[in-house]
Amino acid sequence: MKKALALLLALIMVLSLVACGAGESPAPEAPKADAPAAEAPKADAPAEEPAAEEGKVFRIYAWNEEFKGFFEKYYEVPEGITVEWVINPSDGGVYQDKLDEALLNQANASDDEKIDMFLAEADYILKYTDTEYTQDITALGVTDFSNTYEYTVQAASDSNGVVKGVSFQCCPAALIYRRSVAEAVLGTSEPAEVQELLNSWDKFNAVAADAAAKGYLMTASEAATFRVFSNNTTAPLVNDAGELVLDQAIIDWQAQAKNFADNGYTQTCDIWSDECTAQMFGDGKTMCYFGPAWYFNFSMGNAQDAEKGCYGDWAIVEGPQAHFWGGTWLLAATGSDNPTMLADVMDTFINDEEVCKALIENEAQFTNNQAVNAAYAENPEYGNAFLGGQNDVAVFVELAKNIKFENKTIYDQLLTEGLQGYWREYCDGTVTEDEAMANYYKYINEKYPEIITP
Amino acid sequence: MKQLSAHKSKSKGVSYAKWGYIFIAPFFITYAIFTLFPQMLTIYNSFFENYRSGLKQVGPNFVGLENYITLFTPDKNGTIDILKYAGNTVVLWIGGAIPQIVIALLLAIFFTSYRLKIRGQQFFKTVIYMPNLIMASAFSMLFYTLFSPVGPVNQALLEWGVLEASFDFFAHKVSVRGMIMLMNFLLWFGNTTILLMAGIMGIEQDLFDAAQIDGANSVKVFFKVTLPLLMPILVYTIITAMIGGLQMFDVPQVLTNGGGTPNRTSMTLIMFLNNYLKTSKNYGMAGAISVIIFIITGILSLVVYRSLTKQDN
Repeated sequence: MKKALALLLALIMVLSLVACGAGESPAPEAPKADAPAAEAPKADAPAEEPAAEEGKVFRIYAWNEEFKGFFEKYYEVPEGITVEWVINPSDGGVYQDKLDEALLNQANASDDEKIDMFLAEADYILKYTDTEYTQDITALGVTDFSNTYEYTVQAASDSNGVVKGVSFQCCPAALIYRRSVAEAVLGTSEPAEVQELLNSWDKFNAVAADAAAKGYLMTASEAATFRVFSNNTTAPLVNDAGELVLDQAIIDWQAQAKNFADNGYTQTCDIWSDECTAQMFGDGKTMCYFGPAWYFNFSMGNAQDAEKGCYGDWAIVEGPQAHFWGGTWLLAATGSDNPTMLADVMDTFINDEEVCKALIENEAQFTNNQAVNAAYAENPEYGNAFLGGQNDVAVFVELAKNIKFENKTIYDQLLTEGLQGYWREYCDGTVTEDEAMANYYKYINEKYPEIITP
Repeated sequence: MKQLSAHKSKSKGVSYAKWGYIFIAPFFITYAIFTLFPQMLTIYNSFFENYRSGLKQVGPNFVGLENYITLFTPDKNGTIDILKYAGNTVVLWIGGAIPQIVIALLLAIFFTSYRLKIRGQQFFKTVIYMPNLIMASAFSMLFYTLFSPVGPVNQALLEWGVLEASFDFFAHKVSVRGMIMLMNFLLWFGNTTILLMAGIMGIEQDLFDAAQIDGANSVKVFFKVTLPLLMPILVYTIITAMIGGLQMFDVPQVLTNGGGTPNRTSMTLIMFLNNYLKTSKNYGMAGAISVIIFIITGILSLVVYRSLTKQDN
């Protein structure tokens, strides 16, 4: 009797606990509830009414503090409006997940809770531009794109060419090398000479062996060169039939990563890990990083550290292949209750010369205003102290000519993160090549059931 | 039984039974609304294709048992994922639970022993319970930082000459699993100690005294008196620990950044479920996994219960 009761109670507990774990899935969002939400934003579409009565809260979704810093310094918020930032980390798709939830709920949200503007990166901007969750900014009054780089406008446009946002930066990427290490490995630290010695992958790989022989690392992570390869593919990662196809350029990166890891030319770690960024301190042994202006001015904080870093010991060159990486676009959310301010923010960051100048001078940005960039590129007085006085704007103006926004999918961020993560286990020797790829395909099946993996 | 029937005949006149039902009703009602109903919904959902692609919803389309078939289809290398993760989960749980229960049992006996009379009990009890107050995710973040390739543990080991090059604790199955087990042990042994102490204190002191007068040494007292009488509480502890263990999530999730590295050997069932819920919001597959976890938990609970209580028969 007692035992039966005890068993019953134990079973109930099992049930309740299991259901707790599982309950999360279906209850709050029964499938049907999604359907009206998906259509709803249309109802809100006529946002272009005169600016008489606009919202009190301007809500921005972002994944880090980079743009927030510039916004707070250089944008004067109209009186009576408070700006609310909702910041979620990009890693693992968290930012996209949270943003998606909010956008799907946009129609039901109160005016103050509505997203007015959100930031998006090249890796997934397509997911938002080609939907009704973003709105035409030319209708809001942002029409002057004469000075912006063409690819930034193309990236923010939907398939019919309707522009949905702007980028406040242009992101040609360079090879960022440490001058003192280059001196030791290559015998020179002059950009022109370094470029001559590193202008192809064959040369780059050969120098990596030299660097290792001299006790240096070519890169701080086997994934450091990934973006250079992945930005030079001939086809997107997922083809029209929805199949995952690794381009030859990606396969070349995989070979290089394994080679570098096996020979100790690099470390096996994530590019955002402490292990990788620890190499940016003064006692680091790494010669090369890859990235655009935002990489060295925002992500190389350790190198910028006045006491422990190596400020001024850096320079940039084109490297083995031209490429671009990332960039932060500001997209206009459908249903925004602050259309005037929305348009003003966007216009300010692409067309206000004073703001663009400040971005270059104070923030070492490469702006999305060709006229301002050109002025700095030609100014012999201008130099970036972090790069030992090199005129980075002049380098980037040249590199920006090569940028083509192509072969992108809405899946790129997570497909890239996953590939790097699972391939790293192979580079580490933890798994075989087959196992690494099988794990990667499983990861894709979990994240994106619609993608067909080999 | 005698007592029970005597009680019954007494209360024949006025029935107070309905009050009993009324008093326990709130539990059953909340249980039905917040547990039973979602559970049924989960099972229902597991028969549908239902996920999100970008911002678009796919389904729900009825697909029968397809989600279950997918789960049990071996991959190219012949591994059936869900079984692998179930195995991981059980290994991770057992590795943490055995030391947890053994140490907790020892501590409970020390603390309740009239012969040892440990001073400052209150202090020790608080200290061993302390880790349980820390958020599990914060605790694993701490371990992540401590054991990172550039973290203090590696630096200390290098400095002392134990290691020649820094050791990547996160690239080896043994070290990752070891860390998870250690963390779960540290988080939960204090809680178990308190529970078992309550159990031991519920045993009549006379029985210990009698055993000692009969000449039993403390080992004998433990196996012949304490353990059998503690069994109901011990079974409860083990079953709850097991249910908690099968739902292990936060510690390995944070420690391995959701990857269950290396080679998915520290991926637990709930992490697997979570992978389907993130990004794709794949309720179909996630539902199917939940149902399987439910079945596994039910079977294991029964097995543990049966095997630990069969002496009574």
